[in-house]
Amino acid sequence: MKKTLALVLVLCGLAASFSGLELRMRTMPRRKVPGAGILYIPSGKYLKYATFGFSTLIADVVYLWAIQYYGNEEIADRYDSLLHIFGIISELDPRYVDAYEVGALIAAGDMQDLGLALKIFDLGFAKNPSQWIFPFEAGHYAALAKDFPTARAYFKKAMDIPGAPAIAKRLYADTSFKAMDLRTSWETWLEVYNTAADEQIKKIASNHLYQVKAAADIGALKAAAAKFKAASGRFPSGPDEILRAGLLPSIPKDYDGADYLYDPATGEFKTAVIPWKR
Amino acid sequence: MTARMVKVIAANTFKEAVRDRVLYLLLFFAAAAILLSRVLALLTVGDRMKIVKDVGLSAISIFGALMAILIGTGLVYKEIEKRTIFTLISKPIHRFEFLLGKYLGLILTLAVMLTSMGLIFLGLVLVETGVFEGRILLALVYVFFELLLVTAVAILFSCFSTPILSSLFSLGFYLIGHFSWSLEALAKKVRPGPGRTLLGVLSAVLPDLENFNIRTEVVHALPLPAAHLAYAAAYGILYAAFVLTLAVLIFRRRDFV
Repeated sequence: MKKTLALVLVLCGLAASFSGLELRMRTMPRRKVPGAGILYIPSGKYLKYATFGFSTLIADVVYLWAIQYYGNEEIADRYDSLLHIFGIISELDPRYVDAYEVGALIAAGDMQDLGLALKIFDLGFAKNPSQWIFPFEAGHYAALAKDFPTARAYFKKAMDIPGAPAIAKRLYADTSFKAMDLRTSWETWLEVYNTAADEQIKKIASNHLYQVKAAADIGALKAAAAKFKAASGRFPSGPDEILRAGLLPSIPKDYDGADYLYDPATGEFKTAVIPWKR
Repeated sequence: MTARMVKVIAANTFKEAVRDRVLYLLLFFAAAAILLSRVLALLTVGDRMKIVKDVGLSAISIFGALMAILIGTGLVYKEIEKRTIFTLISKPIHRFEFLLGKYLGLILTLAVMLTSMGLIFLGLVLVETGVFEGRILLALVYVFFELLLVTAVAILFSCFSTPILSSLFSLGFYLIGHFSWSLEALAKKVRPGPGRTLLGVLSAVLPDLENFNIRTEVVHALPLPAAHLAYAAAYGILYAAFVLTLAVLIFRRRDFV
Protein backbone atom coordinates (compact mmCIF):
# COMPACT_ATOMS: atom_id res chain seq x y z
CA MET A 1 0.00 0.00 0.00
CA LYS A 2 2.82 2.36 0.92
CA LYS A 3 4.63 1.55 -2.32
CA THR A 4 1.50 2.24 -4.33
CA LEU A 5 1.04 5.56 -2.59
CA ALA A 6 4.66 6.43 -3.25
CA LEU A 7 4.24 5.56 -6.93
CA VAL A 8 1.11 7.71 -7.17
CA LEU A 9 3.02 10.59 -5.61
CA VAL A 10 5.85 10.08 -8.09
CA LEU A 11 3.28 10.10 -10.89
CA CYS A 12 1.81 13.37 -9.66
CA GLY A 13 5.26 14.91 -9.38
CA LEU A 14 6.22 13.82 -12.88
CA ALA A 15 2.92 15.06 -14.33
CA ALA A 16 3.41 18.44 -12.67
CA SER A 17 6.98 18.59 -14.00
CA PHE A 18 6.23 17.82 -17.63
CA SER A 19 3.11 20.03 -17.63
CA GLY A 20 5.21 22.87 -16.27
CA LEU A 21 7.81 22.30 -18.97
CA GLU A 22 5.13 22.20 -21.64
CA LEU A 23 3.70 25.53 -20.47
CA ARG A 24 7.19 27.03 -20.30
CA MET A 25 8.02 25.89 -23.84
CA ARG A 26 4.88 27.51 -25.19
CA THR A 27 6.17 30.91 -24.18
CA MET A 28 9.36 30.40 -26.20
CA PRO A 29 9.30 31.89 -29.66
CA ARG A 30 10.20 29.39 -32.38
CA ARG A 31 10.79 30.73 -35.81
CA LYS A 32 8.73 28.90 -38.33
CA VAL A 33 8.41 29.12 -42.07
CA PRO A 34 4.70 29.80 -42.40
CA GLY A 35 3.10 27.75 -45.11
CA ALA A 36 6.25 25.74 -45.80
CA GLY A 37 4.22 22.54 -46.00
CA ILE A 38 2.28 23.75 -49.01
CA LEU A 39 5.06 22.54 -51.28
CA TYR A 40 4.09 18.96 -50.71
CA ILE A 41 0.43 19.07 -51.51
CA PRO A 42 -0.01 17.01 -54.66
CA SER A 43 -2.77 17.23 -57.20
CA GLY A 44 -6.18 16.30 -55.82
CA LYS A 45 -6.61 13.69 -58.54
CA TYR A 46 -3.70 11.69 -57.19
CA LEU A 47 -4.39 12.50 -53.56
CA LYS A 48 -7.86 10.98 -53.92
CA TYR A 49 -6.35 7.54 -54.51
CA ALA A 50 -4.34 7.86 -51.32
CA THR A 51 -7.35 8.59 -49.12
CA PHE A 52 -8.61 4.98 -49.09
CA GLY A 53 -12.22 5.99 -49.49
CA PHE A 54 -12.05 8.85 -46.98
CA SER A 55 -11.77 11.54 -49.63
CA THR A 56 -14.59 13.67 -48.17
CA LEU A 57 -12.97 13.52 -44.74
CA ILE A 58 -9.63 14.58 -46.19
CA ALA A 59 -11.46 17.33 -48.10
CA ASP A 60 -12.80 18.58 -44.75
CA VAL A 61 -9.32 18.52 -43.26
CA VAL A 62 -7.79 20.38 -46.22
CA TYR A 63 -10.68 22.88 -46.13
CA LEU A 64 -10.24 23.57 -42.41
CA TRP A 65 -6.52 23.88 -42.89
CA ALA A 66 -7.02 26.21 -45.88
CA ILE A 67 -9.20 28.55 -43.81
CA GLN A 68 -6.43 28.83 -41.21
CA TYR A 69 -3.79 29.15 -43.95
CA TYR A 70 -5.53 32.04 -45.69
CA GLY A 71 -6.20 33.74 -42.38
CA ASN A 72 -2.48 33.83 -41.64
CA GLU A 73 -1.16 37.19 -42.75
CA GLU A 74 2.41 36.13 -42.10
CA ILE A 75 2.37 34.07 -45.29
CA ALA A 76 2.99 36.76 -47.84
CA ASP A 77 2.66 34.52 -50.89
CA ARG A 78 -0.33 32.52 -49.66
CA TYR A 79 -2.50 33.60 -52.55
CA ASP A 80 -0.20 32.06 -55.16
CA SER A 81 -1.66 28.62 -54.57
CA LEU A 82 -5.33 29.44 -54.01
CA LEU A 83 -6.61 27.69 -57.12
CA HIS A 84 -4.36 24.68 -56.45
CA ILE A 85 -5.61 24.26 -52.88
CA PHE A 86 -9.28 24.72 -53.65
CA GLY A 87 -8.80 22.58 -56.75
CA ILE A 88 -7.63 19.78 -54.43
CA ILE A 89 -10.74 20.14 -52.27
CA SER A 90 -12.93 20.06 -55.38
CA GLU A 91 -11.24 16.86 -56.55
CA LEU A 92 -11.61 15.22 -53.16
CA ASP A 93 -15.20 16.32 -52.61
CA PRO A 94 -16.69 17.82 -55.77
CA ARG A 95 -19.96 18.65 -53.97
CA TYR A 96 -18.35 20.75 -51.28
CA VAL A 97 -20.21 23.98 -52.06
CA ASP A 98 -18.79 25.94 -49.10
CA ALA A 99 -15.25 25.37 -50.28
CA TYR A 100 -15.93 26.90 -53.72
CA GLU A 101 -17.73 29.83 -52.13
CA VAL A 102 -14.97 30.54 -49.63
CA GLY A 103 -12.28 30.14 -52.31
CA ALA A 104 -14.08 32.60 -54.57
CA LEU A 105 -14.61 34.99 -51.65
CA ILE A 106 -10.88 35.01 -50.90
CA ALA A 107 -10.08 35.53 -54.60
CA ALA A 108 -12.54 38.38 -55.07
CA GLY A 109 -12.24 39.95 -51.62
CA ASP A 110 -8.65 39.60 -50.46
CA MET A 111 -6.98 39.24 -53.84
CA GLN A 112 -9.31 41.52 -55.82
CA ASP A 113 -9.07 38.98 -58.63
CA LEU A 114 -12.52 38.60 -60.16
CA GLY A 115 -11.21 36.32 -62.90
CA LEU A 116 -9.90 33.83 -60.35
CA ALA A 117 -13.13 33.96 -58.34
CA LEU A 118 -15.12 33.21 -61.49
CA LYS A 119 -12.70 30.39 -62.34
CA ILE A 120 -13.41 28.79 -58.95
CA PHE A 121 -17.16 29.12 -59.48
CA ASP A 122 -16.77 27.65 -62.98
CA LEU A 123 -14.91 24.73 -61.42
CA GLY A 124 -17.78 24.17 -58.99
CA PHE A 125 -20.35 24.45 -61.74
CA ALA A 126 -18.45 22.06 -64.03
CA LYS A 127 -18.52 19.46 -61.25
CA ASN A 128 -22.08 20.26 -60.14
CA PRO A 129 -24.09 21.24 -63.24
CA SER A 130 -27.35 21.02 -61.32
CA GLN A 131 -26.28 23.56 -58.67
CA TRP A 132 -27.62 26.99 -59.64
CA ILE A 133 -25.76 28.58 -56.73
CA PHE A 134 -22.44 28.66 -58.64
CA PRO A 135 -23.51 30.76 -61.65
CA PHE A 136 -25.82 32.73 -59.35
CA GLU A 137 -22.98 33.73 -57.02
CA ALA A 138 -20.63 34.29 -59.96
CA GLY A 139 -23.22 36.66 -61.44
CA HIS A 140 -23.32 38.62 -58.18
CA TYR A 141 -19.53 38.91 -58.06
CA ALA A 142 -19.38 40.11 -61.67
CA ALA A 143 -22.24 42.57 -61.07
CA LEU A 144 -20.48 43.99 -58.00
CA ALA A 145 -17.42 44.53 -60.19
CA LYS A 146 -19.73 46.24 -62.72
CA ASP A 147 -18.94 43.66 -65.37
CA PHE A 148 -22.56 43.46 -66.46
CA PRO A 149 -22.16 41.44 -69.70
CA THR A 150 -20.40 38.69 -67.68
CA ALA A 151 -22.94 38.97 -64.87
CA ARG A 152 -25.92 38.56 -67.19
CA ALA A 153 -24.32 35.52 -68.82
CA TYR A 154 -24.00 33.87 -65.36
CA PHE A 155 -27.53 34.83 -64.30
CA LYS A 156 -28.81 33.36 -67.57
CA LYS A 157 -27.07 30.08 -66.71
CA ALA A 158 -28.49 30.15 -63.18
CA MET A 159 -32.08 30.87 -64.18
CA ASP A 160 -32.08 28.02 -66.70
CA ILE A 161 -31.28 25.45 -63.99
CA PRO A 162 -34.35 23.75 -62.49
CA GLY A 163 -34.86 24.83 -58.90
CA ALA A 164 -33.16 28.20 -59.30
CA PRO A 165 -34.87 30.99 -57.33
CA ALA A 166 -37.12 33.35 -59.27
CA ILE A 167 -34.82 36.26 -58.46
CA ALA A 168 -32.23 34.82 -60.88
CA LYS A 169 -34.47 35.78 -63.82
CA ARG A 170 -34.99 39.27 -62.41
CA LEU A 171 -31.24 39.70 -61.95
CA TYR A 172 -30.74 38.54 -65.53
CA ALA A 173 -33.23 41.15 -66.72
CA ASP A 174 -31.61 43.86 -64.61
CA THR A 175 -28.04 43.10 -65.70
CA SER A 176 -29.20 42.90 -69.31
CA PHE A 177 -30.51 46.44 -68.87
CA LYS A 178 -27.22 47.56 -67.34
CA ALA A 179 -25.35 45.87 -70.20
CA MET A 180 -27.57 47.95 -72.51
CA ASP A 181 -29.33 44.95 -74.05
CA LEU A 182 -32.69 46.69 -73.75
CA ARG A 183 -34.65 44.26 -75.92
CA THR A 184 -33.65 41.23 -73.82
CA SER A 185 -34.23 43.17 -70.63
CA TRP A 186 -37.71 44.27 -71.79
CA GLU A 187 -38.69 40.76 -72.85
CA THR A 188 -37.49 39.23 -69.61
CA TRP A 189 -39.17 41.80 -67.38
CA LEU A 190 -42.36 41.34 -69.38
CA GLU A 191 -42.17 37.61 -68.78
CA VAL A 192 -41.58 38.24 -65.07
CA TYR A 193 -44.56 40.60 -65.01
CA ASN A 194 -46.85 38.15 -66.77
CA THR A 195 -45.88 35.19 -64.60
CA ALA A 196 -45.52 36.99 -61.24
CA ALA A 197 -47.24 35.15 -58.43
CA ASP A 198 -47.72 38.17 -56.19
CA GLU A 199 -48.43 41.86 -56.53
CA GLN A 200 -45.11 43.00 -55.14
CA ILE A 201 -43.14 41.23 -57.86
CA LYS A 202 -45.59 42.53 -60.45
CA LYS A 203 -44.97 46.06 -59.17
CA ILE A 204 -41.19 45.58 -59.28
CA ALA A 205 -41.41 44.23 -62.85
CA SER A 206 -43.69 47.09 -63.82
CA ASN A 207 -41.19 49.66 -62.52
CA HIS A 208 -38.40 47.98 -64.45
CA LEU A 209 -40.50 47.86 -67.60
CA TYR A 210 -41.08 51.59 -67.15
CA GLN A 211 -37.34 52.12 -66.76
CA VAL A 212 -36.38 50.00 -69.80
CA LYS A 213 -39.00 51.63 -72.04
CA ALA A 214 -37.92 55.08 -70.85
CA ALA A 215 -34.27 54.31 -71.59
CA ALA A 216 -35.13 53.13 -75.12
CA ASP A 217 -37.52 56.03 -75.82
CA ILE A 218 -35.26 58.73 -74.37
CA GLY A 219 -32.36 57.31 -76.37
CA ALA A 220 -34.37 57.62 -79.60
CA LEU A 221 -35.68 61.10 -78.72
CA LYS A 222 -32.21 62.39 -77.84
CA ALA A 223 -30.77 61.00 -81.07
CA ALA A 224 -33.55 62.72 -83.04
CA ALA A 225 -32.95 66.01 -81.19
CA ALA A 226 -29.25 65.76 -81.96
CA LYS A 227 -30.00 65.18 -85.68
CA PHE A 228 -32.34 68.17 -85.66
CA LYS A 229 -29.59 70.35 -84.17
CA ALA A 230 -27.10 69.12 -86.75
CA ALA A 231 -29.51 70.16 -89.57
CA SER A 232 -30.81 73.46 -88.19
CA GLY A 233 -28.17 74.58 -85.70
CA ARG A 234 -30.52 74.50 -82.70
CA PHE A 235 -32.43 72.01 -80.59
CA PRO A 236 -36.11 71.56 -81.47
CA SER A 237 -38.52 73.76 -79.50
CA GLY A 238 -40.57 70.68 -78.54
CA PRO A 239 -41.21 67.04 -79.46
CA ASP A 240 -43.77 68.14 -82.07
CA GLU A 241 -41.00 69.81 -84.10
CA ILE A 242 -39.14 66.46 -84.22
CA LEU A 243 -42.29 64.84 -85.54
CA ARG A 244 -42.83 67.58 -88.15
CA ALA A 245 -39.22 67.25 -89.30
CA GLY A 246 -39.94 63.53 -89.94
CA LEU A 247 -37.15 62.38 -87.64
CA LEU A 248 -39.48 59.98 -85.77
CA PRO A 249 -42.71 58.31 -86.96
CA SER A 250 -44.39 59.21 -83.64
CA ILE A 251 -43.49 60.74 -80.28
CA PRO A 252 -43.24 57.94 -77.75
CA LYS A 253 -44.96 58.17 -74.36
CA ASP A 254 -43.76 56.57 -71.15
CA TYR A 255 -45.00 53.20 -69.83
CA ASP A 256 -47.87 54.92 -68.05
CA GLY A 257 -48.88 56.87 -71.20
CA ALA A 258 -47.48 60.20 -69.97
CA ASP A 259 -45.25 62.55 -71.98
CA TYR A 260 -41.52 62.75 -71.34
CA LEU A 261 -40.24 66.06 -70.04
CA TYR A 262 -38.14 68.03 -72.54
CA ASP A 263 -35.61 70.87 -72.04
CA PRO A 264 -35.21 72.80 -75.37
CA ALA A 265 -32.06 74.52 -74.09
CA THR A 266 -30.10 71.27 -73.72
CA GLY A 267 -32.07 68.82 -75.90
CA GLU A 268 -32.42 66.52 -72.88
CA PHE A 269 -35.45 64.30 -72.24
CA LYS A 270 -36.37 62.76 -68.90
CA THR A 271 -39.24 60.92 -67.28
CA ALA A 272 -41.92 62.83 -65.43
CA VAL A 273 -41.62 60.49 -62.42
CA ILE A 274 -38.88 58.47 -60.79
CA PRO A 275 -39.57 54.81 -61.81
CA TRP A 276 -39.41 53.60 -58.16
CA LYS A 277 -41.90 56.23 -56.98
CA ARG A 278 -44.65 55.57 -59.50
CA MET B 1 21.53 -6.27 -8.05
CA THR B 2 18.92 -4.02 -9.66
CA ALA B 3 21.20 -2.60 -12.33
CA ARG B 4 22.50 -6.07 -13.22
CA MET B 5 18.97 -7.47 -13.47
CA VAL B 6 17.85 -4.61 -15.65
CA LYS B 7 20.93 -5.02 -17.85
CA VAL B 8 20.30 -8.75 -18.30
CA ILE B 9 16.65 -8.24 -19.22
CA ALA B 10 17.55 -5.33 -21.53
CA ALA B 11 20.18 -7.46 -23.30
CA ASN B 12 17.70 -10.30 -23.75
CA THR B 13 15.02 -7.94 -24.99
CA PHE B 14 17.47 -6.48 -27.50
CA LYS B 15 18.43 -9.97 -28.74
CA GLU B 16 14.76 -10.88 -29.03
CA ALA B 17 13.81 -7.64 -30.79
CA VAL B 18 16.56 -7.76 -33.40
CA ARG B 19 15.33 -11.22 -34.41
CA ASP B 20 11.89 -9.82 -35.20
CA ARG B 21 11.31 -9.77 -38.97
CA VAL B 22 8.86 -6.88 -38.67
CA LEU B 23 11.76 -4.67 -37.66
CA TYR B 24 13.64 -5.38 -40.88
CA LEU B 25 10.53 -4.98 -42.98
CA LEU B 26 10.01 -1.53 -41.49
CA LEU B 27 13.69 -0.71 -41.93
CA PHE B 28 13.43 -1.71 -45.59
CA PHE B 29 10.40 0.54 -46.13
CA ALA B 30 12.06 3.39 -44.25
CA ALA B 31 15.16 3.09 -46.44
CA ALA B 32 12.96 2.94 -49.55
CA ALA B 33 11.07 6.06 -48.45
CA ILE B 34 14.33 7.92 -47.75
CA LEU B 35 15.75 7.00 -51.14
CA LEU B 36 12.47 7.69 -52.93
CA SER B 37 12.54 11.22 -51.56
CA ARG B 38 15.17 11.86 -54.24
CA VAL B 39 12.69 10.81 -56.92
CA LEU B 40 9.94 12.87 -55.32
CA ALA B 41 12.23 15.88 -55.35
CA LEU B 42 12.38 15.64 -59.14
CA LEU B 43 8.68 16.51 -59.28
CA THR B 44 9.03 19.81 -57.48
CA VAL B 45 9.88 23.27 -58.68
CA GLY B 46 12.52 25.03 -56.61
CA ASP B 47 14.72 23.67 -53.84
CA ARG B 48 14.92 19.90 -54.32
CA MET B 49 17.05 19.31 -51.26
CA LYS B 50 14.29 20.72 -49.08
CA ILE B 51 12.00 17.92 -50.27
CA VAL B 52 14.71 15.30 -49.77
CA LYS B 53 15.42 16.48 -46.22
CA ASP B 54 11.82 16.90 -45.19
CA VAL B 55 10.61 13.58 -46.62
CA GLY B 56 13.68 11.75 -45.29
CA LEU B 57 13.38 13.11 -41.74
CA SER B 58 9.62 12.51 -41.70
CA ALA B 59 10.10 8.92 -42.90
CA ILE B 60 12.62 8.28 -40.12
CA SER B 61 10.25 9.72 -37.54
CA ILE B 62 7.21 7.77 -38.76
CA PHE B 63 8.95 4.44 -39.27
CA GLY B 64 10.77 4.84 -35.96
CA ALA B 65 7.44 5.32 -34.20
CA LEU B 66 5.99 2.30 -36.04
CA MET B 67 8.92 0.18 -34.89
CA ALA B 68 8.46 1.34 -31.30
CA ILE B 69 4.74 0.62 -31.41
CA LEU B 70 4.76 -2.70 -33.27
CA ILE B 71 7.60 -4.20 -31.23
CA GLY B 72 6.81 -2.47 -27.93
CA THR B 73 3.16 -3.49 -27.75
CA GLY B 74 4.06 -7.17 -27.90
CA LEU B 75 6.97 -7.14 -25.45
CA VAL B 76 5.16 -7.71 -22.16
CA TYR B 77 2.13 -9.40 -23.69
CA LYS B 78 4.27 -12.11 -25.30
CA GLU B 79 5.82 -12.96 -21.94
CA ILE B 80 2.37 -13.36 -20.45
CA GLU B 81 0.98 -15.24 -23.46
CA LYS B 82 3.92 -17.69 -23.53
CA ARG B 83 3.81 -17.92 -19.73
CA THR B 84 7.53 -17.15 -19.47
CA ILE B 85 6.53 -14.39 -17.08
CA PHE B 86 5.80 -17.01 -14.43
CA THR B 87 9.39 -18.23 -14.55
CA LEU B 88 10.72 -14.67 -14.40
CA ILE B 89 8.47 -13.50 -11.58
CA SER B 90 9.40 -16.50 -9.46
CA LYS B 91 13.02 -15.25 -9.53
CA PRO B 92 14.26 -12.57 -7.13
CA ILE B 93 13.35 -9.80 -9.54
CA HIS B 94 11.15 -6.78 -9.05
CA ARG B 95 8.43 -6.06 -11.54
CA PHE B 96 9.75 -2.57 -12.18
CA GLU B 97 13.15 -4.11 -13.03
CA PHE B 98 11.42 -6.33 -15.54
CA LEU B 99 9.59 -3.41 -17.17
CA LEU B 100 12.62 -1.14 -17.12
CA GLY B 101 14.76 -3.87 -18.70
CA LYS B 102 12.18 -4.41 -21.43
CA TYR B 103 12.02 -0.68 -22.03
CA LEU B 104 15.78 -0.17 -22.20
CA GLY B 105 16.20 -3.22 -24.45
CA LEU B 106 13.74 -1.81 -26.92
CA ILE B 107 15.27 1.65 -26.69
CA LEU B 108 18.64 0.11 -27.57
CA THR B 109 17.08 -1.64 -30.55
CA LEU B 110 15.48 1.59 -31.70
CA ALA B 111 18.75 3.45 -31.28
CA VAL B 112 20.42 0.94 -33.62
CA MET B 113 17.59 1.24 -36.14
CA LEU B 114 17.60 5.03 -35.93
CA THR B 115 21.35 5.04 -36.51
CA SER B 116 20.90 2.80 -39.57
CA MET B 117 18.20 5.00 -41.03
CA GLY B 118 20.17 8.12 -40.15
CA LEU B 119 23.28 6.82 -41.91
CA ILE B 120 21.33 6.06 -45.08
CA PHE B 121 19.78 9.52 -44.96
CA LEU B 122 23.01 11.36 -44.19
CA GLY B 123 24.67 9.41 -47.00
CA LEU B 124 21.99 10.51 -49.44
CA VAL B 125 22.30 14.16 -48.36
CA LEU B 126 26.07 13.92 -48.60
CA VAL B 127 25.92 12.49 -52.12
CA GLU B 128 23.42 15.15 -53.22
CA THR B 129 25.03 18.21 -51.66
CA GLY B 130 28.61 17.17 -51.03
CA VAL B 131 28.27 18.61 -47.52
CA PHE B 132 27.91 16.82 -44.19
CA GLU B 133 25.03 18.52 -42.43
CA GLY B 134 25.49 18.21 -38.69
CA ARG B 135 22.11 19.75 -37.89
CA ILE B 136 20.44 16.67 -39.34
CA LEU B 137 21.99 14.72 -36.45
CA LEU B 138 20.29 17.10 -34.04
CA ALA B 139 16.92 16.42 -35.71
CA LEU B 140 17.60 12.69 -35.36
CA VAL B 141 18.41 13.10 -31.67
CA TYR B 142 15.01 14.69 -31.14
CA VAL B 143 13.33 11.92 -33.11
CA PHE B 144 14.98 9.64 -30.56
CA PHE B 145 13.49 11.65 -27.67
CA GLU B 146 10.11 11.23 -29.30
CA LEU B 147 10.70 7.48 -29.55
CA LEU B 148 11.58 7.36 -25.83
CA LEU B 149 8.06 8.52 -25.08
CA VAL B 150 6.27 6.44 -27.74
CA THR B 151 8.08 3.30 -26.55
CA ALA B 152 7.04 3.95 -22.94
CA VAL B 153 3.44 4.30 -24.07
CA ALA B 154 3.61 1.07 -26.12
CA ILE B 155 4.92 -0.79 -23.07
CA LEU B 156 2.25 0.75 -20.85
CA PHE B 157 -0.53 -0.57 -23.10
CA SER B 158 1.27 -3.88 -23.47
CA CYS B 159 0.90 -4.37 -19.69
CA PHE B 160 -2.86 -4.74 -19.80
CA SER B 161 -3.97 -5.18 -23.39
CA THR B 162 -3.52 -7.32 -26.50
CA PRO B 163 -0.90 -6.27 -29.10
CA ILE B 164 -3.56 -5.23 -31.63
CA LEU B 165 -5.41 -3.01 -29.19
CA SER B 166 -2.17 -1.70 -27.74
CA SER B 167 -0.98 -0.80 -31.25
CA LEU B 168 -4.19 1.09 -31.90
CA PHE B 169 -3.98 2.91 -28.57
CA SER B 170 -0.34 3.78 -29.14
CA LEU B 171 -1.04 5.03 -32.66
CA GLY B 172 -3.84 7.12 -31.18
CA PHE B 173 -1.38 8.52 -28.66
CA TYR B 174 1.05 9.33 -31.48
CA LEU B 175 -1.64 11.14 -33.48
CA ILE B 176 -2.94 13.02 -30.45
CA GLY B 177 0.63 13.97 -29.63
CA HIS B 178 1.07 15.58 -33.01
CA PHE B 179 -2.26 17.39 -32.98
CA SER B 180 -2.51 18.44 -29.32
CA TRP B 181 -1.30 21.94 -30.23
CA SER B 182 -4.71 22.47 -31.82
CA LEU B 183 -6.28 22.27 -28.33
CA GLU B 184 -4.28 25.31 -27.34
CA ALA B 185 -5.42 27.12 -30.49
CA LEU B 186 -9.01 26.09 -29.76
CA ALA B 187 -8.74 27.27 -26.14
CA LYS B 188 -7.81 30.73 -27.38
CA LYS B 189 -11.01 30.89 -29.42
CA VAL B 190 -13.28 29.70 -26.61
CA ARG B 191 -14.76 32.27 -24.24
CA PRO B 192 -13.22 32.32 -20.74
CA GLY B 193 -14.95 29.81 -18.49
CA PRO B 194 -14.93 26.11 -17.59
CA GLY B 195 -14.63 25.03 -21.25
CA ARG B 196 -11.53 27.11 -21.76
CA THR B 197 -10.01 25.91 -18.49
CA LEU B 198 -10.66 22.30 -19.44
CA LEU B 199 -9.05 22.79 -22.85
CA GLY B 200 -6.09 24.50 -21.20
CA VAL B 201 -5.59 21.63 -18.75
CA LEU B 202 -5.95 19.03 -21.51
CA SER B 203 -3.42 20.77 -23.72
CA ALA B 204 -0.93 20.92 -20.82
CA VAL B 205 -1.38 17.29 -19.80
CA LEU B 206 -1.78 15.56 -23.16
CA PRO B 207 1.50 14.73 -24.88
CA ASP B 208 2.87 17.37 -27.22
CA LEU B 209 5.13 15.48 -29.61
CA GLU B 210 5.59 18.63 -31.67
CA ASN B 211 8.09 19.68 -29.01
CA PHE B 212 10.47 17.16 -30.58
CA ASN B 213 9.75 18.28 -34.12
CA ILE B 214 12.65 20.52 -35.08
CA ARG B 215 12.60 19.42 -38.71
CA THR B 216 11.41 22.81 -40.00
CA GLU B 217 14.26 24.61 -38.25
CA VAL B 218 16.80 22.08 -39.49
CA VAL B 219 15.58 22.05 -43.10
CA HIS B 220 15.30 25.84 -43.31
CA ALA B 221 18.50 26.47 -41.31
CA LEU B 222 16.59 28.51 -38.72
CA PRO B 223 18.04 29.25 -35.29
CA LEU B 224 17.13 26.76 -32.57
CA PRO B 225 16.90 28.21 -29.07
CA ALA B 226 19.12 26.21 -26.72
CA ALA B 227 16.53 26.58 -23.96
CA HIS B 228 13.89 24.94 -26.13
CA LEU B 229 16.18 22.04 -26.92
CA ALA B 230 16.96 21.56 -23.24
CA TYR B 231 13.33 21.79 -22.16
CA ALA B 232 12.17 19.47 -24.94
CA ALA B 233 14.72 16.83 -23.93
CA ALA B 234 13.70 17.12 -20.26
CA TYR B 235 10.04 16.99 -21.27
CA GLY B 236 10.60 13.75 -23.21
CA ILE B 237 12.45 12.09 -20.35
CA LEU B 238 10.00 13.21 -17.66
CA TYR B 239 6.93 12.24 -19.69
CA ALA B 240 8.46 8.83 -20.48
CA ALA B 241 9.24 8.39 -16.76
CA PHE B 242 5.62 9.28 -15.94
CA VAL B 243 4.26 6.72 -18.42
CA LEU B 244 6.67 4.03 -17.20
CA THR B 245 5.70 4.71 -13.58
CA LEU B 246 2.07 4.31 -14.58
CA ALA B 247 2.99 1.05 -16.33
CA VAL B 248 4.73 -0.19 -13.18
CA LEU B 249 1.70 0.74 -11.10
CA ILE B 250 -0.58 -1.28 -13.39
CA PHE B 251 1.86 -4.17 -13.81
CA ARG B 252 2.29 -4.50 -10.04
CA ARG B 253 -1.42 -5.13 -9.64
CA ARG B 254 -1.50 -7.97 -12.15
CA ASP B 255 -1.88 -11.41 -10.64
CA PHE B 256 0.47 -14.01 -12.15
CA VAL B 257 0.03 -16.68 -9.47
